Amino acid sequence: MADLPLLDARDVHKTYRFGALGVEVLRGVNLAVRSGEWLAILGSSGSGKSTLMHLLGGLDRPDAGQGEIHFRGEPISLQPGSALDRYRNRDIGFVFQFYHLLPELNVLENTLLPALVFGARSEGRTAVRQDAEALLGAFGLGHRLTHRPSQLSGGERQRVAIARALINRPAVLLADEPTGNLDAATGAGILDLLAERHKQGLTIVMVTHDHEVAARATRQIRLLNGMTDRSIAT
Amino acid sequence: MEVHHSTAFRPPVDPTVYASLVSNRYLTSRLIPVIAVAAVALCVALVITVVSVMSGFLDMLKASGRSIVGDVIVSSGIGGMPYTEELLAELRALPEVAGATPLIDTIGLLRMPYPAGPQKETAHVQVWAVDPASLAGVTDFADDLYWRAPKDAAAADAMAPDDPRRALDPTILEDGKRLLQSSTNTPGIALGMHVSVGNARQRDGSYLPRYGWFMPGLEVTLTVVPVSGKGKIAEPREQIFPVVNEVQTGLFEVDRNRVYIPLQEGQRLLRLDEAPLYDLTADPDASGNYPVIGRTPARVTKLLLRAKPGCSADALRDRVQATYDAFADRIEADRSRTASMPRFLQVLTWEQQLRDLIVPVEKEREMMRVLFSLIYLVCAGLILSIFWAIVVEKTRDIGILRSVGASRTGVMWIFLRYGLIIGTLGSALGVLLAWAIVTNVNPIHEAIGSDAPLAIRVTAWCLASACAVGLCVTALRRKFLPTLLWTLGTIVLSAAALGLTLHHGTLIWDPSIYYFTLVPDKVDWWAAGTTAVGGVLFSVIGSAIPAAKAADIDPVEALRYG
Repeated sequence: MADLPLLDARDVHKTYRFGALGVEVLRGVNLAVRSGEWLAILGSSGSGKSTLMHLLGGLDRPDAGQGEIHFRGEPISLQPGSALDRYRNRDIGFVFQFYHLLPELNVLENTLLPALVFGARSEGRTAVRQDAEALLGAFGLGHRLTHRPSQLSGGERQRVAIARALINRPAVLLADEPTGNLDAATGAGILDLLAERHKQGLTIVMVTHDHEVAARATRQIRLLNGMTDRSIAT
Repeated sequence: MEVHHSTAFRPPVDPTVYASLVSNRYLTSRLIPVIAVAAVALCVALVITVVSVMSGFLDMLKASGRSIVGDVIVSSGIGGMPYTEELLAELRALPEVAGATPLIDTIGLLRMPYPAGPQKETAHVQVWAVDPASLAGVTDFADDLYWRAPKDAAAADAMAPDDPRRALDPTILEDGKRLLQSSTNTPGIALGMHVSVGNARQRDGSYLPRYGWFMPGLEVTLTVVPVSGKGKIAEPREQIFPVVNEVQTGLFEVDRNRVYIPLQEGQRLLRLDEAPLYDLTADPDASGNYPVIGRTPARVTKLLLRAKPGCSADALRDRVQATYDAFADRIEADRSRTASMPRFLQVLTWEQQLRDLIVPVEKEREMMRVLFSLIYLVCAGLILSIFWAIVVEKTRDIGILRSVGASRTGVMWIFLRYGLIIGTLGSALGVLLAWAIVTNVNPIHEAIGSDAPLAIRVTAWCLASACAVGLCVTALRRKFLPTLLWTLGTIVLSAAALGLTLHHGTLIWDPSIYYFTLVPDKVDWWAAGTTAVGGVLFSVIGSAIPAAKAADIDPVEALRYG
């Protein structure tokens, strides 16, 4: 069991249909993510990076009978929607290129959102609120708790998004171009933050098209034409 | 699937907390829910107000109707019922009966004292020959007599300066109660308030004599046509009566048609009084008269009964029917009687008797309720369209919520809860608004019926001018939306100010049409409750379709393109 990958994609296919037209985005991707590693998935636009990320995070399913995603050895793609909801909520944390914060909620509420979905009340809510405040404080946002996303800079928004992704202490952080919308210095700060979490044992899967960003990861793979290109795997 | 709970450090509980948070924020961070709440409130208030006024009108009609005919009415054919004194004695002895009175109901022609000159107007009337003392114990006859002296100085001061009641003598009421002109000891007649065209109803519900035709004290001639038990019409008979008072029951049909005369006069005129019974088979005497073999009893055509408190009209009707049947059997078995009781007669409750009057109003109320309830569909459609727009706008939010584990049901609940809150708030506000309108409907009506106060007119013009200034400023800045809004404000306020300036009072609830001085001002709480529940229900229905759409949104699509 010690060698069991945390996340394991086996011969995953994904085709999007637009009427009669089918666009095969993933063509048999195989990928194993081990606990504690930081994996960067490199690829150009349209190579299927984000699609793979959505499949790994249980937001979408592979084509029927065309591959499987396993989490801790258990297949997730065949599970009912409610199980996938729980999986996304408790085992996965998403970070997106465009932050994707709810504009009506403040920083603290955005961070707490996954915990509220999980269902934290009374004494549990107090504990999770303390967790959120500690996280945001560690990310340098302790003075921004009641601010709305529109009042934050891009880097601050992304840090809030990371805090939100971590609030339920997930097993894996899935980051889709986490620095893609930031300038180099701010992006570097975000990568430092991820590196710090990785050092603490967090498993990270990061999608990027930027080699410099990918270089911060402990392992890289490339997606090419919907398949993993093993030639550059490090 | 055994999912590893990396968050086992916290107790899992209420999954609707986030839905509450998100829907509350959607509610409080924008203007559109306020518009939706206002729409629901207006719909609910409109239905409650209309139904309450209609229900109040119906209740007043019923109360008025019962006060005119009592609880139970026994009606025979035109030939009348004999031995009614004995029958009434038995009926009055029943524990359910609070009062009973006999009367004759027929039609007649009334020659009025106006106009001046030999040609007089004639009105066709419903004649009630009554025993005024016992009638007052069954109906509100005594209370309905209109002309009476004021009770005290304060009551007199409350009357208009030209109100003739201020100068009346107290005997006018007593004469009315007895149907007797005491000064001449002559049997009198009481007219329904609108039998004479001389009574002009004022806005406050009082009457002023028109063209000086104050009826009490004037004489009228009543002509009736006796009809035999076999249906043959005899020579019309007429009698001059002094008008002793006038009666205002509140029901227009009654007040326009009915006159009251003493029972004995009615029996005599209609040949329903006690009379000798001749043996027409015997030879007449020297003067041509047949021998008298007995006397036929006096008759009446109706009995009115009042139930004691706690006894329903239906129960009293059944008891009266049984008593009458037993009485009729005894009379029939008694060979000494010269007349028999009619077997075909009607025993009806007051509601059955007045159903021609009450049922149309009831149907009208239900029709209004149904028609106005269609507003709910507008309400649901409005909420549907608002929510649909919100769901489209919030597609990305839905994707975000799904990415952090929110279920489809949870997403749906956000919007259903949103609709539920809007419906509940709107309905509650609607009930409050309706309560405020209905309980103040008479002052509001009074205000509508009067000239607008100068201060309000000036205020309206000032506001319109302020809007016009705003319009000029925004037009110069070339901003389309503010310019449009200021333009609309200027038009609406100018129209309102102009309307208030030209307005000289609109009487909506005209007492001369509805015959109740006041607009009903009691909230129909049953209708209010059902309407409020309907408001909530249709709001939730209106939000259910966008909520289901939200739940069906593909999170990947939402994140990618939302």
